[in-house]
Amino acid sequence: MQVSRRDVLRGGGLAALLGLGVMTLPGCSSSSGGSGAAPGIQDMSLWYWEGGLSETVVKSAVPQFASSVKLTATKVGGDFKQKLQTTLAAGAGLPSITGVKGEDMPYFRSAAAKFVDLNTLGAADIAKTGLAWKWKEGQDLTGKQLGYPIDIGPTAMFYRSDIFEKAGLASDPTAVSEAVKTWDDYYALGTELHGKVPKSYPIDQLSTIWNIAIGQTSGRFVSQDNKFIGDSDELHQAWLITTKAQTLGLNAKSGQTRSNDEQSGKIAATFGAAWAALDLQSEAPKTAGKWRVASNPVKPTNYGGSFLTIPAATKDPQAAFDIIKWILSADNEAKGFEDAKIFPADPAAWVLPELTGGSEFFGGQKTIEIFGPAGQLVPSQYVAPSDGAVGSPYNDELTKVENGKDPEKAWTDAVAAAKQVAARQGVA
Amino acid sequence: MSPASSKLLRRARAERPGARRGAVLRAWPQYLAVSPFYLLFAVFGLLPVLFSAWLAFHFWNGLTPVTPAGLQQFKFLADDLVFRRAVVNTLIIWVLATVPMLLISLGLAAALNAVRRFRLFYQIVLFLPSVTSIVAIAIFFKAAFNDQIGLVNVTLRAIGLHGIGWTTEYWPIKILIAALMTWQWVGYNAIIYFAGMQAIPSDIYEAAKIDGAGAFRTFWSVTVPMLRPVLIFTVVISTITGLQSFTEPQVIFSSNAAINPNSGGPGQAGLTMVLYFYQQAFTNNNFGYGAAIAYGVFAIVALFALINWRIVARRES
Repeated sequence: MQVSRRDVLRGGGLAALLGLGVMTLPGCSSSSGGSGAAPGIQDMSLWYWEGGLSETVVKSAVPQFASSVKLTATKVGGDFKQKLQTTLAAGAGLPSITGVKGEDMPYFRSAAAKFVDLNTLGAADIAKTGLAWKWKEGQDLTGKQLGYPIDIGPTAMFYRSDIFEKAGLASDPTAVSEAVKTWDDYYALGTELHGKVPKSYPIDQLSTIWNIAIGQTSGRFVSQDNKFIGDSDELHQAWLITTKAQTLGLNAKSGQTRSNDEQSGKIAATFGAAWAALDLQSEAPKTAGKWRVASNPVKPTNYGGSFLTIPAATKDPQAAFDIIKWILSADNEAKGFEDAKIFPADPAAWVLPELTGGSEFFGGQKTIEIFGPAGQLVPSQYVAPSDGAVGSPYNDELTKVENGKDPEKAWTDAVAAAKQVAARQGVA
Repeated sequence: MSPASSKLLRRARAERPGARRGAVLRAWPQYLAVSPFYLLFAVFGLLPVLFSAWLAFHFWNGLTPVTPAGLQQFKFLADDLVFRRAVVNTLIIWVLATVPMLLISLGLAAALNAVRRFRLFYQIVLFLPSVTSIVAIAIFFKAAFNDQIGLVNVTLRAIGLHGIGWTTEYWPIKILIAALMTWQWVGYNAIIYFAGMQAIPSDIYEAAKIDGAGAFRTFWSVTVPMLRPVLIFTVVISTITGLQSFTEPQVIFSSNAAINPNSGGPGQAGLTMVLYFYQQAFTNNNFGYGAAIAYGVFAIVALFALINWRIVARRES
């Protein structure tokens, strides 16, 4: 039947819409509680996603707690946020411990009552030795600690040292970091690079710069008292910085051809979080050894970095918290970095050999020397639950600028569209 | 149940109380046999429809308590410039896909009707795309139409032409999505037309031949008019499905998913109505507004299906 794909959509989309209620009917299964397990041993479950935690650490957690807990770890595929949201709304079949992605934390924070306050279990003491800004991201506005940080996403500049050399520019990470202290510096360097090597560009796409530039503002799109500030001067400044890449002709426009352009050298530099190194490695394996990491212009920002949380329905939160503490101990965090470039949120892990060693993909560079200080210096920023939705029109308009739209007109349109989204999201 | 049959039932019940109940009870194996469809339909079809109708009058982010919204979501919808853009995109893609698709289908069906050898083979080949996973097709099209290393642009450049920004520019994006939809459904419609052609009595063709009609004259004056009921069916179904395109742009532009997911690609040129619904409801966690969009989509699809039916049906009379 030709209608079948629509049925799939209706069945999947609308049913999920509604189904939240219905899903509770069938399998109100086993989150915690002692059914089926040996006496004195309780069932516990952990939800995470591919690459969210170190596989080896998760595997070894099972025997580690075998004397008191039968731990079942599930790698949930597909849209993780959607599945967790559905399960939380249904209130049944919940895991004892679940991951929450960094970009989804502001959303889940809006339903803080559905999670255990980790401060009641002793998280405050651990937070003291951690990164204050990251622990704060896992709190709601009343200071309730919902998330225990897994990793962080300190951003930096990734660049091709071979192309920089070809353009007669300094290619050493320290020298490059020095040369790009401001965005004006960066564009001056980029202009020189593109002039000497015309097939290479210093920017892969506008949204990359925008993502860094808004991370460097104090307020983003929605303020802490839920007011729309997406038309602020500092955001407009960030827009001008971003679109300058287009007007100067330094944008590779690689949104749809990224992997190819990384391999071919069309992209000579880009910006990304520490975890983006893994993407770069898998998208452009042929360029191994040619990339280096330098500091952002102006200041570092954070992009992503996830949490472990305990849903409020978990019967033994203390046992769940003990498991979290063990999985995210400094030694195990270092293993996560070795396994899947999960950059530890706990600075205590940064001095371990897994992190201090040189990276082959980055020509032996000890990237912790860039990401470590960046992680410490990330400015704390309030990210509203509606941040992703309200921020979306700006990215839409940036793709129009890439196709020739006037940047000022695009700014006006982006603000107008963002205001509409904000109103729909209940932002004043 | 039609009014006539329910009247009959009511009369039957008035005459012999309890007779209907007895009939239902006696027929329980039959009811049991057809129940899976109705149960699945109730859970995955009817309930979502009713629940989303209720949601369209409320605010809900998926986690916090639902609050009433009155007509607010529909006011938002009326003012929403992005929704208007999505409607325009969808209509353009629909026309670009449906018109060539149905014409090619008709041609293919005529060709299929003319061949004698390997007909079953051709039928299978034509039908295969419509039972192929749309995600797999979209991934293939995405690769083949890659701006730089895609098969299509490499071929264009090899014969001295310029490559086209299939995945970056306003019109090429729409043509790409329309081409995908055409490719997937052209064979399916051809099979339906072919079945319709098989049902045309051969004496009409003989009469046309005696009157001296050539092959083309016969096709336009006999085959096409005789196919009218089938044409109406395909036009209406193509309208309903074509206006609900979703997977094609969703998969083709999933590469920038990390930054701005489900936004319909560069310049929102591939943002269809249903993709916009999905983005608002599931990416932005705005379920009330998503439901309002879904009903907006329903109204537009119903309107166009009705217009189509009127146009095609009137020509018949």
